[in-house]
Amino acid sequence: MRKPKVAFFDFSSCEGCQLQVANFGEALLDILGLIDVVMFREAISEKSDDYDVAIIEGSITTSHDIERIKQIRATAKVLIAYGACATIGGINGMKNNFDLEDIKKYVYKDDAKYFESIPTHPLHQVVKVDYFVHGCPVYQPEFVKVLKCALAGLLYTVPDYAVCTECRFNENVCMYDKGITCMGPVTRAGCNSWCVNNGNICYGCRGMLSNPAQEGQMDILKKHNIALDWVQNKMNMYNKPRELDTEPPANNGHIG
Amino acid sequence: MQRFVILSKKDLDAFISALAQSQKVVAPVARGHNNFSFAEVSSGKEITLKYIPTILPPKKYFLPTQEIITSYNKRENALNAILEYEKMVIFGVHTCDLAGIQCLNMVFADKPKDINYIIRKNKIAIIGLECNDYCDEYASCHVVGNHLPNGGYDLFFTDLGDVFIVHINTMLGDELVNKAAVFKSADAKMLKALESLRQMKHSIFKDEVNVKHQELKPLFDRSSNSKVWEDLNKRCVACGNCTNVCPTCYCFDIIDEPNLDLNTGVRYRRWDSCQNEPFAKVAGNENFRKERSQRQRHRYMRKFKYPVDKYSRYFCTGCGRCSRTCMAQIKLKETINDLAKETQ
Repeated sequence: MRKPKVAFFDFSSCEGCQLQVANFGEALLDILGLIDVVMFREAISEKSDDYDVAIIEGSITTSHDIERIKQIRATAKVLIAYGACATIGGINGMKNNFDLEDIKKYVYKDDAKYFESIPTHPLHQVVKVDYFVHGCPVYQPEFVKVLKCALAGLLYTVPDYAVCTECRFNENVCMYDKGITCMGPVTRAGCNSWCVNNGNICYGCRGMLSNPAQEGQMDILKKHNIALDWVQNKMNMYNKPRELDTEPPANNGHIG
Repeated sequence: MQRFVILSKKDLDAFISALAQSQKVVAPVARGHNNFSFAEVSSGKEITLKYIPTILPPKKYFLPTQEIITSYNKRENALNAILEYEKMVIFGVHTCDLAGIQCLNMVFADKPKDINYIIRKNKIAIIGLECNDYCDEYASCHVVGNHLPNGGYDLFFTDLGDVFIVHINTMLGDELVNKAAVFKSADAKMLKALESLRQMKHSIFKDEVNVKHQELKPLFDRSSNSKVWEDLNKRCVACGNCTNVCPTCYCFDIIDEPNLDLNTGVRYRRWDSCQNEPFAKVAGNENFRKERSQRQRHRYMRKFKYPVDKYSRYFCTGCGRCSRTCMAQIKLKETINDLAKETQ
């Protein structure tokens, strides 16, 4: 059987998620036994317009990006949104907090007129996405799971329950018990509470639950004396483009 | 005849160290911020004897958070059962958690029998540890009758100051005692001391809610449409902490995952929670319990109503974990009192 051709692409991003692939170590050899990487800027020089699976890092931030992602979508049989920038807009989404012209001037000063910019969009707001690998950066074991599902033609369902669930499985001491605010209760799981296992808080990089309990969450903030602005800023660090969703992506953690 | 022996406290370390030489020993260990967990120990020094219920109950050893149950081979059309187990001793199990294990035993021995659970359980020796006083204000062990030992252990330790008096309940417990050779026989004075401790506990442990033991079930029978659930709807954030830490919640999801060859793969089960958004979601995106009020009600009914109908036993062990861990500070004792107040 011919090995499926896989190409990596990057849009607005730090390319750190692709670096996660290069960081696999020996496990990468097993993965390469399964696929034929035809384009991967981080590690090889070859280029190709012939691919079956497109793995896309980065978010859509210019109208040129829109044309380019549509072209990739038209070529690829399977399109995987890879990393927070691609799945939820990620850090780039912070620009949506500001007036577009203002933020352009802030970044490019007098040269702002040479740059065209649109609000940050995750991929699914522009093209159909078949698989989502959330995270900033992606959690390697989850990427492998998604890749296997994509190649086997199986559905991968992103967990639509809180990071707290996996955090309890790992028996971490709750950050709130330590007097520290953590985004775990509103963030979708699937990362095996990676950050908390290593002594950090959850930053919400995997995106919000489909149905976060607004009233209950406000209650918790009040009880712990946490300012709403502060949490909003934390949430918007990754999740701002969520406002531009017309409907939640079908396989982004929902059965159906 | 009941058999009791004595272990001097200074010999606990020798006992645990010797046990750990021959098999895995797990016991409560301090994790900081008044959190504890059962973890592997090699000596008695690592154990915290005075602990509040651990983050996860010992059910994690009987029903692992994630467990491979079969492997498959598509080309050969083969499905092979997989059972992974480990011989171990769990030391320091409080009476609430002993009750939790008894509940799980009933469920998994019921038809269809869960072979993985049963075989694993038979490899685990349980050493109980009595609570001479309440762990904290979240516990409600008296009203569900779990503040005193009701079996479900091989050995049971009670702290009598300088010594533990140890009840030998099974042949396996007897073996552990004989092998250790640090136990002495219990004299009448010690038995008397145990009796007076139990007497004293009668004055310490009282019903923690305004509802009597036998009235709990009828209370939940008539609470289906209570407004209390609406209040919980506003407060609950569906993080799933309450069910994950519950000693008697046993729901799991089953997931297939291919190996990298895409031909073989494994089927595993993983703890699931009725509090999670997708738990009752089915094809077509229909969700049978979309409201958090319905999910919370379900959780309570699964402790105080449904298992009583089926197994004649409350599945709340009174450990207090759900209240302790709740992000929204939903407290079981409060919920019961609120229900009682409303239906009076």
